[in-house]
Amino acid sequence: MALLTKPETPPPPSRRRRLVYRLRVLRHDPTAALGLILVILLAYLVVAPLIAVLSDAFRLQYGDDVHAGQQPGEWTGYYMWRVFRSQISGLLFWEPLLNTLVIAVGTTLFALVVGGGMAWLVTRTNVPGRKWLAGALVVPYMLPSWTFSLAWLSLFKNERAAGQVGFLQAQGIRTPDWLAYGAVPIIVTLGLHYYPFVLLLVGNALRRIDAQLEDSARILGAPQRTVIRRIVVPLMLPALSSAVLLVVGRVLGTFGTPYVLGLPADYRVLSTGLFQSIRDRSTGVASVLATVIVVIGVLIVLTDTRLMREHRRFVTVGGKGAMDRLSDLRRWRWPLFGLGLLVFVVSVLVPVFTLLLSTVTRTPLDLSTFTLDYWLAEKLPGAVGFPHGVLRGSELWTAAWNSLRIVGLASLICAVAGLLIGYVVVRGTAPRVAAFLRQVSFLPYLIPGIAFAAASLSLFAVARGPLPALYGTTFLLILVMAVTHLPYSSRSGIAAMMQLGREPEEAAQIAGASWWQRMRRIIFPIQKGALVTGIVLPFISGLKELSIVIMLTTTGTQLLTTLSIGLVDYGYTQLANAVVLVIALVSFTMTYLTQRLTKSSLASGLGG
Amino acid sequence: MPNITLSGVAKSYGGGDYAVKNLDLTVPDGAFMCLLGPSGCGKTTTLRMIAGLEQPTAGSIAVGDRVLDSVERGLYVPPEKRGMGLVFQNYALWPHLSVRENVEFGLRMRKVPGPERRARAETALKMVHVDAAMDRYPSQLSGGQQQRVALARMLAINPTVLLLDEPLSNLDAQLRLEMRAELKRIHEESGATIVFVTHDQLEALTMATDVAVMKDGELQQLAAPMEMYARPANRFVAEFVGSPPMAIVDVAPSPTGLAGSLMRSIEARAGQCAPTAVGIRPEALRLGTPPGTAWHEEAVVEAVLPAGSSWTVRLRILDTELYAVSYTPVEAAAGDVLTCWTDQMHLFGADGVRLSSWDRTEVGA
Repeated sequence: MALLTKPETPPPPSRRRRLVYRLRVLRHDPTAALGLILVILLAYLVVAPLIAVLSDAFRLQYGDDVHAGQQPGEWTGYYMWRVFRSQISGLLFWEPLLNTLVIAVGTTLFALVVGGGMAWLVTRTNVPGRKWLAGALVVPYMLPSWTFSLAWLSLFKNERAAGQVGFLQAQGIRTPDWLAYGAVPIIVTLGLHYYPFVLLLVGNALRRIDAQLEDSARILGAPQRTVIRRIVVPLMLPALSSAVLLVVGRVLGTFGTPYVLGLPADYRVLSTGLFQSIRDRSTGVASVLATVIVVIGVLIVLTDTRLMREHRRFVTVGGKGAMDRLSDLRRWRWPLFGLGLLVFVVSVLVPVFTLLLSTVTRTPLDLSTFTLDYWLAEKLPGAVGFPHGVLRGSELWTAAWNSLRIVGLASLICAVAGLLIGYVVVRGTAPRVAAFLRQVSFLPYLIPGIAFAAASLSLFAVARGPLPALYGTTFLLILVMAVTHLPYSSRSGIAAMMQLGREPEEAAQIAGASWWQRMRRIIFPIQKGALVTGIVLPFISGLKELSIVIMLTTTGTQLLTTLSIGLVDYGYTQLANAVVLVIALVSFTMTYLTQRLTKSSLASGLGG
Repeated sequence: MPNITLSGVAKSYGGGDYAVKNLDLTVPDGAFMCLLGPSGCGKTTTLRMIAGLEQPTAGSIAVGDRVLDSVERGLYVPPEKRGMGLVFQNYALWPHLSVRENVEFGLRMRKVPGPERRARAETALKMVHVDAAMDRYPSQLSGGQQQRVALARMLAINPTVLLLDEPLSNLDAQLRLEMRAELKRIHEESGATIVFVTHDQLEALTMATDVAVMKDGELQQLAAPMEMYARPANRFVAEFVGSPPMAIVDVAPSPTGLAGSLMRSIEARAGQCAPTAVGIRPEALRLGTPPGTAWHEEAVVEAVLPAGSSWTVRLRILDTELYAVSYTPVEAAAGDVLTCWTDQMHLFGADGVRLSSWDRTEVGA
């Protein structure tokens, strides 16, 4: 028998000896080195741009020294003054801010009413064709958001802006400006794009509510209406607030729709204002605007997290009776089905067919002027900048190849980085590195894409240190696109690695496998599925991306989305519509196939 | 084959708390050593340090004269070069590889040629009786089969040291019993030195050749299982090993009730030592007429819990409740008053360390 009495704490070896030992251990374990590399990359790609844009907002730029009375490079409040207090600040900031708020509120209400109603219809009632409706009503989300605005123009455009007038005007019905441009069309078109968000989030929450909770209230004597008011609605609050904030956040950073529908009537929002400031080369003002958008975006997400935490106590674990307690609509079944169908028709069929028809008719939607010229013609009379059908010439194909190449590479980088971040976090050899990676990789989520693109421009547009100016290079596009999609892929990477745990790798290590062998034979093969979804989801969303790339592309690096917007600028409506149709077709097909093949739900890609 | 030696091993995760404090432990060659303790006592950390998956903050670990870790000398051998086997609590089979590929993996890493690899994998799988499921995937196996495959995966490389982390805790009672016998057999057949971790004292007693009890990162006692049961080093070991646990009555400073009764009996005989607590194992507390000099007292029966082969009785003796286990039928009902007696007590000093046993054969030992 051995009986041991020991001093409480052992005498620790000297610092130097421990360091020598630590280094010896690190030499055999590349995780730490990998973590360090990721930290440096993220600091440079995520944190540095934000610092750069902030410093640009407070440093006097070249060319402004006469107005501001300071030397270039000096610290200044000139841009703050210009944006918030000068004579033109109404035009620069306050009016766009007001417009942004109007659109955000309007779009949110629109999306809440349509999305919430449809969510209830497809999850809690016995409406005919429930399953089909649930799938069909998500389709608008698979189309680029400004598809709707182009369709709107094809219907309502008047002669105020250049290019061909819309269908109604062509029929001799004058469309007033408020119907053709500005707040109303923007709210409606954005609402039609974003209601699937609400549908998915609220639908999921509705599905998860345990019917036993409602039953208990019923048994205690509460009438149906009281049950909804006192039980269901309070339980839905987290999902509702999440949906609201998500939509507001997206609207804040959305560019395409306000650009297409707002600018012809000088209806400015923050995102288009930011874009114009950058086009006008007023870097200081643009930096202030970008900072404002970043701050609002951060506030929105922080509010969301805060609310979610407060509502955490509401989390209801679905019990036995969790699903499929459906209200019987009785004689309202078919009328409500009609309503659901109407929403589908208005949000999917009408825009898509309007666009399609507009590309095959000379006079909008007048089939007697049917032509395939806009797709196939060798030579289009009158179109100087793009003198042939979209499928002819090299523009579309170059842009498509660019999109495929740039977005594909960005997605690949994104997915691998996400998995590697997950790997470092789960290995947990360096807790501080893990915490940094986790938080910083999530940071771009807080920042509307257009503001992040502006921030990246601040950092990379000029040569800094050993790095040359990257503006206009595909490299910059790939980097920024990868970084903005990183929150989703790092989240899913961490989740996938967490689920796997450390043991499978440790087992391989024990069995004698080196780090490369473990990566090649164990980790990546097991995570194959996660890797594929990690590539495909950012790819689909990147293909439709406009807000980020519009800032960064030049004529040399045209993507499908920027090509389409460029055609809008020229007033070549049919050609622009044709390009958008191509994007919509690709993105819809890919989303559909992915959902079919991987059984992944679109909702998980929302990150909501 | 050599001993595993841990000397002065400590592990801190930072913040001044130690998961393992200054541990000295030698696992003899060919032993079946069990690290036993409640959760959080540092036993799994110790095992993972031996495997090389965690690194000590101080101290050294060696197998024979091959030093695997030495913080003082800056030596470290990574897990993949230690040539040990480790079976994880949740098995950690690779889901994308078949059973055969799982078992062959270690051999592949050692560049064992194909035919030999297959033969050795089959031998290992036969040893644990899952050779029939060779071409299935882990997800198609039952928990018990997965456990066996995890074992075979490690046996295939013929490790001289085999580490098991709570290998039986995820199995149901029936399988656990079976695997205990199986592990004992494998230990004998393979001749490997086995170190295994468990919080189940019964597992430790039934399988191990040596048991090391740990608490708060410190070794409490290292002994052969029956030795430990008979002579626990301190109160913690006494209470942790054995089920139902040993009843321990505090007797200092001025004992009344049961404590007073026990002390009078002890002082009358032992005289010299001054215990602060007295422990009685449930099976040492007998019911019926006491033989001559044994301590005895009246007890009220509170409940009788028959279990087929044994009867557990909850008794109230004066002011204290305690359990007695009888291997002959107990014909009593709640409320009955019986006489109970014992001639085996464990005496503990002020710091909880065991002073001596007090029984008829070793009074005052």
